[in-house]
Amino acid sequence: MWGVIKSVLAAFFGVQKERQRRHDFEHGKPGAFILVGLLMAVVFVVVIAALAIYVAG
Amino acid sequence: MAPKLPPHHSLQHSSTTATAGGQVHDDHDHHPQPRGIMRWLLTTNHKEIGSLYLIFSLIMFFIGGIFALVVRAELFQPGLNLINPEFFNQMTTMHGLIMVFAAVMPAFTGLANWMIPLQIGAPDMALPRLNNFSFWLLPVAFTLLLSTLLMPGGGPNFGWTFYAPLSTTYAPPSTTFFILSLHIAGVSSILGAINIVATILNMRAPGMRMMDMPLFVWTWLITAFLLIAVMPVLAGVITMMLMDINFGTSFFDAAGGGDPVLFQHLFWFFGHPEVYIMILPAFGIVSAIIPTFARKRLFGYASMVYATASIAVLSFLVWAHHMFVVGLPLAATLFFMYTTMLIAVPTGVKVFNWITTLFRGSITFEVPMLFALAFVVLFTIGGFSGLMLAIAPADFQYHDTYFVVAHFHYVLVPGAVFSIMAAVYYWLPKWTGHYPSEILGKWHFWLSVIGVNLTFFPMHFSGLAGMPRRIPDYALQFADFNLVSSLGAFLFGFSQLIFVWVIIKCVRGGVKAPAKAWDGAEDLEWSVPSPAPLHTFETPPDFKPVQH
Amino acid sequence: MRKMLALMTGGGTLFGGASLAHANGWNMPVGVTDLSAEIYTLHMTIFWICVVIGIVVFGVMFYSLFKFRRSKGAKSAHFHENTTVEVIWTAVPLLILVGMAVPATATLQKMYDASDAELDVMITGQQWRWRYEYLGEDVAFNSNMSTPRAQITGEEERGEHYLLEVDEPLVLPINRKVRFLLTADDVIHSWWVPDFAVKQDTIPGFINENWVRINEPGIYRGQCAELCGMDHGFMPIVVHAMEEDEFDQWLVERKEAAEAEAMGVDREWEMDELMERGEQVYGSICASCHQADGGGSPPAFPGLAGNQELIDDVDWHIDVVLNGVSGTAMPAFRSNLNPVELAAVVTYSRNAWGNDTGDAVQPAEIVELLE
Ligand code: HEM
Ligand SMILES: [Cu+2]
Repeated sequence: MWGVIKSVLAAFFGVQKERQRRHDFEHGKPGAFILVGLLMAVVFVVVIAALAIYVAG
Repeated sequence: MAPKLPPHHSLQHSSTTATAGGQVHDDHDHHPQPRGIMRWLLTTNHKEIGSLYLIFSLIMFFIGGIFALVVRAELFQPGLNLINPEFFNQMTTMHGLIMVFAAVMPAFTGLANWMIPLQIGAPDMALPRLNNFSFWLLPVAFTLLLSTLLMPGGGPNFGWTFYAPLSTTYAPPSTTFFILSLHIAGVSSILGAINIVATILNMRAPGMRMMDMPLFVWTWLITAFLLIAVMPVLAGVITMMLMDINFGTSFFDAAGGGDPVLFQHLFWFFGHPEVYIMILPAFGIVSAIIPTFARKRLFGYASMVYATASIAVLSFLVWAHHMFVVGLPLAATLFFMYTTMLIAVPTGVKVFNWITTLFRGSITFEVPMLFALAFVVLFTIGGFSGLMLAIAPADFQYHDTYFVVAHFHYVLVPGAVFSIMAAVYYWLPKWTGHYPSEILGKWHFWLSVIGVNLTFFPMHFSGLAGMPRRIPDYALQFADFNLVSSLGAFLFGFSQLIFVWVIIKCVRGGVKAPAKAWDGAEDLEWSVPSPAPLHTFETPPDFKPVQH
Repeated sequence: MRKMLALMTGGGTLFGGASLAHANGWNMPVGVTDLSAEIYTLHMTIFWICVVIGIVVFGVMFYSLFKFRRSKGAKSAHFHENTTVEVIWTAVPLLILVGMAVPATATLQKMYDASDAELDVMITGQQWRWRYEYLGEDVAFNSNMSTPRAQITGEEERGEHYLLEVDEPLVLPINRKVRFLLTADDVIHSWWVPDFAVKQDTIPGFINENWVRINEPGIYRGQCAELCGMDHGFMPIVVHAMEEDEFDQWLVERKEAAEAEAMGVDREWEMDELMERGEQVYGSICASCHQADGGGSPPAFPGLAGNQELIDDVDWHIDVVLNGVSGTAMPAFRSNLNPVELAAVVTYSRNAWGNDTGDAVQPAEIVELLE
């Protein structure tokens, strides 16, 4: 699970080690990545929104 | 995923005797098919439909271009010289609508039709009849749209962003037709996108994995998802307009409890992904051309895919950067400023990757490469102004001025449009079997580059100096900038005649191109003969992935 | 950081040519408020960041194009991935952007703080003029473009402030925080004065807020920034910023003038007086749609000259002017014009251009209807 999260984070950042990438594509389940990806997208929105609301006071 | 071969001869040959399927026909001239107009009306062949899209787009490019030249002629000097303000507003509006929905988008769909099956080793698109239908909706939609110019009260005059209530309560009577035509164009886009997704996911050659796909295929796959996600939003918002105009609702009318700003949220929730719809396939094209002429593999293939996906996700989270001055709460302004700044990062990564691909390559400068290189430089300039616009406090000054006009024309003209031209020069040998004229191509290129910069660079200055957009006449301090812009626009416009000339010449003859027309080109389309016969890959090719 | 910003702004001056408070013709004006100067600094900072990135990126690019030409015998290398480089060029822009977001956020916080204003001005966008109302002071007026038609069509030489001049400018005091409340009567407009760095949409049915504190007296010009229909290009903004005591005096004078006009409501007006006043009001308010000759531009804007419905029915005519026609571009003028102006303009359009009904509508009648 942690591996999937790390890979999704790397994808968000846009850089991934070739070896890890190949490993994910060959052995990972696409469903898991899609689900975690969607969740992380929501988390991303919430984090930025929280920051904006906090700064706006 | 095993490729599924669709029963492709079914419609096209319904009235003639079917030829043996499953063979590659070298000589498409002898291929029996309905003749004349019926051939084109009924075709389900991805190459023919691709050509139809491209020709349609080229015609619309000229019509939209004429509208732009009317605008630039009026703005050549201060004063109302040629046309009245009502007509001026119709011209700016129609220019924007036609260029976005009838020129750029169909051009990319045309390229997708032609090239995606060739690049993934598929015999055709997954849904060939739907493909025919998607195309033929377009001439209907845009004939209707153009006809509004002749209706009483004139055509749409509220800008391509058609903000309510200017586009509802205060709109000309033809607005209902405008809505209908956008609906039809939207249906066409959605169907086209569904077809592309189905093709890419199901019809790749055996052995081609997702991460083996050429970037043009990747970027189009992501674009298609964007289209499927946001075209319905556009359909929704124009339906709400339709109801406000004709059925007494007040979605966007404060007097009836509605909210004009709601319109803008909905429009830009569609509109921002839409601008990326117009640039992601361009990224794919440039990512094919640069490695070819640098004779070196694309640097950072995987990060290109990731950056495209990041851009797609972020593009849903930035829409209100078009609305910083409508009176958003502070927290909202901050949110959209932060996300907009973030979207510049993956965009930058793309540029870095292309440049690193050039580094230590073995570079030649054929016409497609010239357009691709100009794309990289000039698109980046558009990206820089985008970055400036992302700074919300500064956007209070930039917004709705010519600075914004400069920004989006840099990303769309030497961005999207140059990429389309690059693609045409790059793939013409595959389409026609002949190389396009190198000399004419270079004339076309250089005149276009000069024209584009003369037209759009001064707009940065007039915008910063305070010239609002969408005005038919301007204060005297903006006169010099406008004069240069207008001259540049005419230069750019007329240079495009060379483009047409090149294409016609190339279709009729020229230096014969081999299957692999460019010596650095690697993708599957270069393994079929030039010109590509009407039917290709009827038996799936042997695909050997390069180790990405 | 401070120093760097200052340096960059200095560079900006070079770029712009001159560091005047007003527009120098090429670049964003520094403007005449603290906030406009701050925004100018942000603008120049991000501009120079872009220039530096541009030099690096295009430098590498043109170097490669020059150095690695096949015609010079370049052979291509085979590398196509490097995680370290990729991490660096993703992280560095990210950091730069965070560095930019911090000052931008601080400026936004100030821009959004409209509290403790000493004067409230209501700004209303209308097709195609501005209306200014000094809240609590009983002073209100419309501000129309005053550039003559003949200059626009080129029959007359264009003046220095072509298209950027109005019949009545907004008058504001310097050194006082002025809060703007912005709205619109018809479509969305946008009130923009570059020297204040204030641009705010005016939205029908909603009220937006913005503010300004001007540092220098002077005349500042701007334009409507949001496409608002036919004459969008012809609704300029002119602000006359005065010393504080001068402004106070001006306000008193305007109040007295307003009272004098209010008195006029009770008396009987002569036809000539009404016609004269009416022509003036018609020219500044109605003519933009219905045309100076009453011809209109059908179908959107019906003609008034020889309009039988109008000639036959004075009550209907008054009702249309007072309350507008919903679902069309005709606005309600009941709260934009005073009773004298309303009576005069109705009288004028009932008698001009050969309509010749002979009706003289009195301000008192209008007052009755308004109640
Ligand atoms: C680096 C990435 C980009 C950033 C940060 C960015 C930012 C912005 C911002 C903030 C605006 C709003 C300006 C305003 O109205 O005040 C804007 C407008 C616009 N951008 Fe971009 N942009 C970027 C790239 C692109 C690309 C790639 C395209 C399309 C190919 C594009 C097309 C447009 C268009 C069409 C508009 C104006 C729409 C209109 O108001 O008519 N931008 N951009
Ligand atoms: Cu956007």
